[in-house]
Amino acid sequence: MISLRTDRRDVAAGARAMAPWLAGIVPFGLVIGVSAAQADVPALAGWLTGPLIYAGSAQVATIGMLDAGAAPIAVVAVALVINVRLIFYSATMARYWRGTPWWWRLSAAYLLVDPSVAVGLDGYQRLGRDRAHAHYLGGAVLLWVSWLAAISAGEIAGAGLPTWLHLEFVIPLYLVGQVISRLADPSRRRAIFVAAAVALLALPAPLQLGIALAIAAGIAAGLTARPAGPTQSIRPLQPSTEVPR
Amino acid sequence: MNAWTVILAAGLGSYLFRLSMIVLFGRITMPASLERASQLVAPAAFAAMAAAGLATACMSLGATHAAAPLAAVAAAVIAVLRTGSPQAAILAGLPVFWVTGALLPS
Repeated sequence: MISLRTDRRDVAAGARAMAPWLAGIVPFGLVIGVSAAQADVPALAGWLTGPLIYAGSAQVATIGMLDAGAAPIAVVAVALVINVRLIFYSATMARYWRGTPWWWRLSAAYLLVDPSVAVGLDGYQRLGRDRAHAHYLGGAVLLWVSWLAAISAGEIAGAGLPTWLHLEFVIPLYLVGQVISRLADPSRRRAIFVAAAVALLALPAPLQLGIALAIAAGIAAGLTARPAGPTQSIRPLQPSTEVPR
Repeated sequence: MNAWTVILAAGLGSYLFRLSMIVLFGRITMPASLERASQLVAPAAFAAMAAAGLATACMSLGATHAAAPLAAVAAAVIAVLRTGSPQAAILAGLPVFWVTGALLPS
């Protein structure tokens, strides 16, 4: 039974559990907002990547590739490939949402993303299923509101800032930060170097199709590397280690 | 297909991904290789976009001014390696980009 009226304390506990994530998420949302304001994309369309795609990496790719004039089908394909992990998050939560009303499954699924899965799973492992629903919702709704607020603030600030600041360079720097921080794992390292090399070689390819080719080559190369340890099942990130994707 | 339809299509596809296994629970099993591949998508995509973005920025600025983004990226790499924080890339790289750009002849 899902009764949020009686589970206010669990909703609040979920929101509190989400708070540490916000330190990494809010700057990321600001960066996306600034990049959307600077990109050659309608301002509202850039903002809509927040509520519609609702996954930072795919939003960065979508805005960046649209700005670069990539083929629409390539943009959609890259965004969806980046979001394939959502299928695994869906599988992770499915067992806890079995037998719940459809309205719950449709709305709770919409809020699925790395931090909400992390906070939600913690609740499902510690609390009873009904209380854990409220815990999940408290964290997930706070995340959603904070994410959209951060993108809005970034977009407003980005539109008013002078061009000499070259804020369009924020996204490449953000990507560099993400790439360098993932070099420790051998599979990821190989994927990163091969993807970067193929992207440079395929730069003359029309409509930014080189990006899609580079991602495919990077993944294929990463799969040939020996994993660092036993195969890890996909799991949400921890707030202190990486920015949510 | 314009920017609006691209964003709508990517959003709809992402939502279907989120809903997929909740609807299909127990009917299909995801192969382990796909699970491993999905962990490589973000690093590969980020590396590809960073390399292409940097190369495009250097080419658009010309040989003289290409030093600014290159210096910024070098500063970003050093900052992330030293601090372990991805956010350090922007905090270190952007000021270096501004300063190097200002020092270069126009």
